[in-house]
Amino acid sequence: MVAPKERLGFNTLKTTKRFQNPPKDETAFPLLAEAIYPHIHSFNALTEGPGGGLLNLAVKDIGKKTVYDSTEHRSANKLKIWIDSVQLMKPAVGSFDKTSLDRKTYPAECRERMSSYRGKLMLKVCWSVNDGPEMSEVRDAGYLPIMLKSNRCHLQTMSPEELVKCREESDELGGYFVVNGLEKLVRMLIVQRRNHPMAIVRPSFENRGHAYTKYGIQIRCVRPDQTSQTNVVHYLKDGNLTFRFSWRKNEYLVPVMMIMKALAETNDREIFDGIVGSDSSDSFLTDRLELLLRSYKSYGLHSQQETLAYLGDKFRVVFGVADDMSDVEVGKEVLRRIVLVHLDSNEDKFRMLLFMIRKLYTLVANDCCADNPDSSQHQEILLGGFLYGMILKEKMDEYLASITQQVNTDIDRGTGINFSERKYMTRLFSKVNENIGQKLQYFLSTGNLVSQSGLDLQQVSGYTVVADKINFYRFLSQFRMVHRGSFFAQLKTTTVRKLLPESWGFLCPVHTPDGSPCGLLNHLSHKCKVATEDSDVSKVGEALSLLGIVPKHGFAAGPNVCCVQLDGKVVGWCTHEQGRIVADTLRYWKVERTHGLPLDLEIGYVPPSTKGQYPGLYLFGGRARMMRPVKYLPLAKEDIVGPFEQVYLNVAVRPSEIESNIHSHVEFSPTNILSILANLTPFSDFNQSPRNMYQCQMGKQTMGTPGVALAHRSDNKLYRLQTGQTPIVKAKLYDQYGMDNFPNGTNAVVAVISYTGYDMDDAMIINKSADERGFGYGMVYKVEKIDLGMNRRRGDPITQHFGFGSDEWPEEWKGKLDADGLPMIGTKVEEGDPIVAYFDDTVGKTKIKTYHSSEPGYIEEVKLLGDNNDEELQMLTIKYRIIRDTQIGDKYSSRHGQKGVCSRKWPTVDMPFSETGIQPDVIINPHAFPSRMTIGMFVESLAGKAGALHGIAQDSTPWQFSEDDTPADFFGEQLLKAGYNYHGNEPMYSGATGEELRADIYMGVVYYQRLRHMVNDKFQVRSTGPVNSLTMQPVKGRKRSGGIRVGEMERDALIGHGSAFLLQDRLLNCSDYTQTSICRSCGSLLNPQTSVPRIGQKSSIRCRSCATKIESETLLKDVDESEIWEDGQSNRFIGGADTTTIGIPFVLKYLDSELAAMGIRMRYNVSPK
Amino acid sequence: MTSREGFVPAINSSAAAGGFSNHKTYGVKYICASCAATFTLGKSESIRCKECGHRVIYKARTKRMVQFEAR
Repeated sequence: MVAPKERLGFNTLKTTKRFQNPPKDETAFPLLAEAIYPHIHSFNALTEGPGGGLLNLAVKDIGKKTVYDSTEHRSANKLKIWIDSVQLMKPAVGSFDKTSLDRKTYPAECRERMSSYRGKLMLKVCWSVNDGPEMSEVRDAGYLPIMLKSNRCHLQTMSPEELVKCREESDELGGYFVVNGLEKLVRMLIVQRRNHPMAIVRPSFENRGHAYTKYGIQIRCVRPDQTSQTNVVHYLKDGNLTFRFSWRKNEYLVPVMMIMKALAETNDREIFDGIVGSDSSDSFLTDRLELLLRSYKSYGLHSQQETLAYLGDKFRVVFGVADDMSDVEVGKEVLRRIVLVHLDSNEDKFRMLLFMIRKLYTLVANDCCADNPDSSQHQEILLGGFLYGMILKEKMDEYLASITQQVNTDIDRGTGINFSERKYMTRLFSKVNENIGQKLQYFLSTGNLVSQSGLDLQQVSGYTVVADKINFYRFLSQFRMVHRGSFFAQLKTTTVRKLLPESWGFLCPVHTPDGSPCGLLNHLSHKCKVATEDSDVSKVGEALSLLGIVPKHGFAAGPNVCCVQLDGKVVGWCTHEQGRIVADTLRYWKVERTHGLPLDLEIGYVPPSTKGQYPGLYLFGGRARMMRPVKYLPLAKEDIVGPFEQVYLNVAVRPSEIESNIHSHVEFSPTNILSILANLTPFSDFNQSPRNMYQCQMGKQTMGTPGVALAHRSDNKLYRLQTGQTPIVKAKLYDQYGMDNFPNGTNAVVAVISYTGYDMDDAMIINKSADERGFGYGMVYKVEKIDLGMNRRRGDPITQHFGFGSDEWPEEWKGKLDADGLPMIGTKVEEGDPIVAYFDDTVGKTKIKTYHSSEPGYIEEVKLLGDNNDEELQMLTIKYRIIRDTQIGDKYSSRHGQKGVCSRKWPTVDMPFSETGIQPDVIINPHAFPSRMTIGMFVESLAGKAGALHGIAQDSTPWQFSEDDTPADFFGEQLLKAGYNYHGNEPMYSGATGEELRADIYMGVVYYQRLRHMVNDKFQVRSTGPVNSLTMQPVKGRKRSGGIRVGEMERDALIGHGSAFLLQDRLLNCSDYTQTSICRSCGSLLNPQTSVPRIGQKSSIRCRSCATKIESETLLKDVDESEIWEDGQSNRFIGGADTTTIGIPFVLKYLDSELAAMGIRMRYNVSPK
Repeated sequence: MTSREGFVPAINSSAAAGGFSNHKTYGVKYICASCAATFTLGKSESIRCKECGHRVIYKARTKRMVQFEAR
């Protein structure tokens, strides 16, 4: 066989030794760190990089705010205030803490204490009065949550050995935040590709007004600090164009001509030439341009200054600019903040706008097609760190705004204002909310975006998720997850969910959930990277001029010439033939690493076509792009390719299919298109594709090994498999990603046979002895937090103390609790057992809290958590260990989307056995295969069997075999060598009779995963139990031991079957059946009451309304004393004895009472049956 | 009921009268999560490691026999 060249091993000793002595230098699994790269490095970019990091770029962009100390501006003093720089500290204990030896705070402590891992945010706020000397003060802006393993985290450069000392995993990945003890992660979002004008046909554009059409050009411009501003140019029915942008969630429309006139001192001729170029014979274009130019004349604005002043006048209020700015200055500010913000110079903006207009007219003329916003070609990824920076920027902006607002309030209140006095300034600062860190913590813990501007994003919630540690697969894949945005989840059309060929190699085609998030929640292919730094494109201009690109030619325009753009800036023009040569040469040079071109420069050459994508040469070197490595054939070297250029590249999947003059690239490996998880599915190329999707889902629900530092974690719920094994059949990537550190299943001998009758319909039989030896044995760790200070307000004295008081309390509490009132570690607790005792000062009594779960648990850990005020113990966590051995009803699956429920634990003696005496651990039904076509599972079974027999690990990387070289043959030969049947079948003998079975049975070794769905968490039964006090009907909800409703449809089915007694039982007897008394004569359900029993007699039920009240003793003369009855208020009555007892649903009584309250009487005519 | 400190005579007189203490003082030990120092804690003491000042403290496993039926 040609395929697997290097032998995989089990590396048991190596793994053991690595755990005993974690490496002192670096992690053994660099691929893992690479997988998290975009998260960590986008966070690092906040504080490092050109310009002092994104935060410092952001404060520069925010600029200076101006405020006056009086409403009369001429005599007023002017205060200019701005943030000069931002600093972020590493997490440390507060300055008031004098006891801690180590000033650093580590993440493990935050997880255990349910606190947040955060560092101090410092703002250097500067101000000058009347443009005088600059003053400054460093303000503390609260504690900002810090990403683990980022450059502000203590763990960043730690070796595995040091990490273990800090109570982390030896290969801790980081990339998430610890907020209130929970691990939170900002998920990656797909957004429009930056700085590239996109032609869009969207019917909803027509809703903006009567003249609007569905055509538009949209560009998402990104500032150096990674905040963005979207600009749209709309095409109107008459051929006119409008420029649209939104500012603080409001939309504004400006004629495009006005923007252009404001950008440059220009004339109509220049604009006409810049758009038409040499295509003056195109009457469609010239007609519309004429109209565009003519219709603008109505504004009567001729020069740039006039236009700027006009714009400034209109937007002065909206932008809230300083009062001393002139209209022209405000106009310039509008252009700076709104129009094509990725470009600095107005000339570049002008050129770009001309290009956009021409592209829009070309789109309308149907000479080019619309760009697909759902294709990866026009997408990039909004990274967590950048989003974090965007929010921080907005909060800092708001902070400055609140300072100016505070000054204005002071003016209104008449407080003395003196800007030049430091005391006043300090007081000013203390009056505003400076705690920016807390706002970011809110963002992380809820995922809600509180923003005035909306940050140019389409959603307000769902930005963060809890990084579940169900198992390592789940944990890891969350960092590779990209979401399309919750806006698209509500969309009724399915176009956004489609798998497009453009995403080849960037988004995994297999790894997406089925159901509602299908196609919206994708995962990055395992070789896909996301740029977190700007590439160095400073030399690109030189290279281009070497290749003869004419810089910014005034007359060049339109799709007949090739426009060269670098990161959304028009840098030159050339012919299309030249463009192709330029693109090819640039690529050669960049792969060659000459001419100072960065390797990750994206060279998107769009060739001319008939009605295809608008042509041009578009170069990208920005952040947030998806990138992946492929082999560049002319140099046989690695090239980094992006989704924009990939569409026009010919990338061969395998070397064998390369054709000269067609292919320029070849994949390093066909498996590069799959995500990490999809790569781990063995022989996935033999399975029907949906089954591989299911495995990606189930792999993440497996009860596996979430980590090894479990003792130092306080997750609410943690699943753990006790008997994890390395799979015999595994992909090469399995070892490279270090999956053996966190085993996820067990190798099982599986026989495909219908044997017991208990294996119908995806049920599986587990060998009872295998179960007893620990197959699939697992447990659940649950953590309960007990906080005595929860109901205590700040400043109140402590009234509840852990431990026993000196009062009297049941002695048996001591059976589970120690003298400190806390449970003994290792004890078993069952429902109602005391878990903690505390003394309550207010009532002077010792109280307990009890264990509430139907499942018994063992006390695993008790952690005493100190608070910040050095008070006595108020908060602790108790970790329970709950045993979860396999039970009938627990769910298992192989790695091929073949899930099943354990239906029996079959005694070993009755299991079938093979000629070598092997008995299967698991029996599955053959009917699981024909319709599902999971051939990969057969191959795995074969490979596993051969591997187990020879003691070797088998490589299951997909696409290693071919028609001429089949796995059946490869592993069949191995089986033959071991003395087994080539096909994997074996004669078997019935365990019950000892007779040989008529057919040979397919038996092999398959890796089985135990899924976390277990009957113990699912079962819901009750006969009696808690009821709703108003209706006396059973409550709902499994947690409250409620019932499952027999609803209308179930009722219909029962009626249809004529099963009246069952219906009666469900709807009445097991629900709110009540016996109540009724008065036969008046038919009332509410009037009968119990009389006060006379001495020596029983009480009786009497109808109060039918009885006559005895007002005076005179009436009593001829009445028998025993006829008289008395109610609770010593009223005496006679009569009303005609009552009886009936069985009714309780709600009837309730209905009667409700009706009575409205003055409606119900009368029941009762008679004996 | 506020004076919880100081000597308190045994209220459960049955055990005291019998001459032996039913709950032998096993002296609950605590372990620092950071430096693994072992120490005891008084009732109203603040939750801090006595060696390093760390604020997470584990309760040590009981010295008492913990026995379960193995069925």
